[in-house]
Amino acid sequence: MAAERVEPEEVAVSDDMNLWRGALIVSGVLLLAIGGLTFLSEVKPATYLGVGAWLAGAIIVHDGIGAMAVFAATVVIRRFDRVPFAVLAIVQAAAVVTVIVTVVVLPEIVKQAIGSANPTILPLDYVGNLVLVYVGIAVATVVAIAVALVRRPSSSRRTN
Amino acid sequence: MHLMWRMQRVLHQFRHALITPSRNARTAVVLGRLLASAFVICFATGIYSHLLQDPAPWMVFPNRPIWLYQVTQGLHITAGIACFPLIFAKLYAVFPELFQTPPVRSLAHLVERASIALFVAASLVQITIGLLNTYQFYSLFPFSFRHVHYALSFVVIGSLAIHIAVKLPIIARYWRKRDAPDSAPATDRASEFADRDELRRRTGIPQNAGITGRIFEWIDTKPAPRPPDPRAAVSRRGFFAAVTIATGTLVTLTAGQSFRILDGVNLFGPRKNDVGPQSLPVNRTAKAAGVEESATSPDWMLTVSNGSVTRTFDYAELAALPQHEAWLPIACVEGWSQYASWRGPRLRDLVDMVGAPELASVRITSLQQHSIYGVTEMQPGFVRDELTLVALQVNGETLDLDHGYPARIIAPARPGVLQTKWLTRLEVI
Repeated sequence: MAAERVEPEEVAVSDDMNLWRGALIVSGVLLLAIGGLTFLSEVKPATYLGVGAWLAGAIIVHDGIGAMAVFAATVVIRRFDRVPFAVLAIVQAAAVVTVIVTVVVLPEIVKQAIGSANPTILPLDYVGNLVLVYVGIAVATVVAIAVALVRRPSSSRRTN
Repeated sequence: MHLMWRMQRVLHQFRHALITPSRNARTAVVLGRLLASAFVICFATGIYSHLLQDPAPWMVFPNRPIWLYQVTQGLHITAGIACFPLIFAKLYAVFPELFQTPPVRSLAHLVERASIALFVAASLVQITIGLLNTYQFYSLFPFSFRHVHYALSFVVIGSLAIHIAVKLPIIARYWRKRDAPDSAPATDRASEFADRDELRRRTGIPQNAGITGRIFEWIDTKPAPRPPDPRAAVSRRGFFAAVTIATGTLVTLTAGQSFRILDGVNLFGPRKNDVGPQSLPVNRTAKAAGVEESATSPDWMLTVSNGSVTRTFDYAELAALPQHEAWLPIACVEGWSQYASWRGPRLRDLVDMVGAPELASVRITSLQQHSIYGVTEMQPGFVRDELTLVALQVNGETLDLDHGYPARIIAPARPGVLQTKWLTRLEVI
């Protein structure tokens, strides 16, 4: 089933490259061994299950939920083919930025609501600042769309 | 056998439906380079921080520039935050690989896929627990953050080395832009499966049969643009713009906690410059450390000893010694840092009063209980540094109780956890 391989099979592999590959694999295996031994010697066995759950959970949340949601969103957005393509691209980029900023800041907001060990930890108005950033993204999106529409060739503006 | 062919078909259909202009080998290489750089920065700075806190006896660390640790740890946290958009983008670019058929071709292929799974899982966990740790969101960890973060760092970097080795021919092939024609989405060949659909060949069941068949057919009526369609280039540029803007936004709005120049736009940093008693953030308060009583007791004394030679100093005696100023940052392992003007006797003057040899280390004991940082050791290079003080004052005022009153250590290029507060004992060793 070699034809199924995604990698282009015709890529050249020189002797030099094989030397590097060997060195990388040896150091990689060594580092993995150090990681494994460190894990076994430093992490309490009672918490192995917790670490395993985090590792499995990361794959499930990313590949199973996050990536699938992105996939679903992109195929739906593709149906809006009466909207100029550049506009769709800008809106998607804005959505990506919004989602990533939210993913990073949301746990901060949750932890702040739960409470911190002292008032100098999480001292800012993260909800207000997040709203501020959303507004900034929205404004930038509108400006980018306006620029994209103005710069479109007039012929395509007529046909749409 | 039907089940296998059905599975094969669904996997094919997924890969076919996932074709987009930005999912190709060149994108994976470009993002891989950035992500690998961020990982290496995080690993190097993380190991440095770890060794500073847990050194082997023969290790010597630089004590200049004074901002060394501030910068290495600031980079650690900032690069770690930048990893979020980069890893999401990288995984987006290679997502169709998840659906390759057959799922396992050989033992070597199984090992490769398993190692990728471990690499992805460990990387996602590593950056996530790192971020949550800066929020001090410990309740989410059913394990010790410090130990797991340390062990996983080797797993991530080891997996990275193996991943680069496996992919090296592709990395070399698509390293330069001019060698990476737009017209080669990596998944093209693998997804043109119509004539290799075993299920149809053997049973005649059409590809649009069933619910999944119809969904994929519906998706297929509006495929993503492909080169040479000019919209493909727009789509790919939009993808890279989104990744760049997301990374830039996160870094700009958080790095102010570590780098003063961005303090004005620090909207999301878990710490803020100038917020705290005496305009300085605190990690562990006197109350949390259980020292409110012992640190404010009129009987407080600092004991300085060298073998059988012991001297004790009360607060007034320390204040009567020659006082020195040092402009040094407190730089926390959590990435935040802030400069302050510290004042007090030099550590080396104190230990010299009990006859410390030139190359002696000092064991520093705090009044705080139940902390792994309650007793720490300082290597001779830092002990002898003229900027290493037993500070009694900060920014012109007596130390706040939360900043270590009556006396604390402040030294250049050291992690905040080693800037011991609420001193009680200094032993020459």
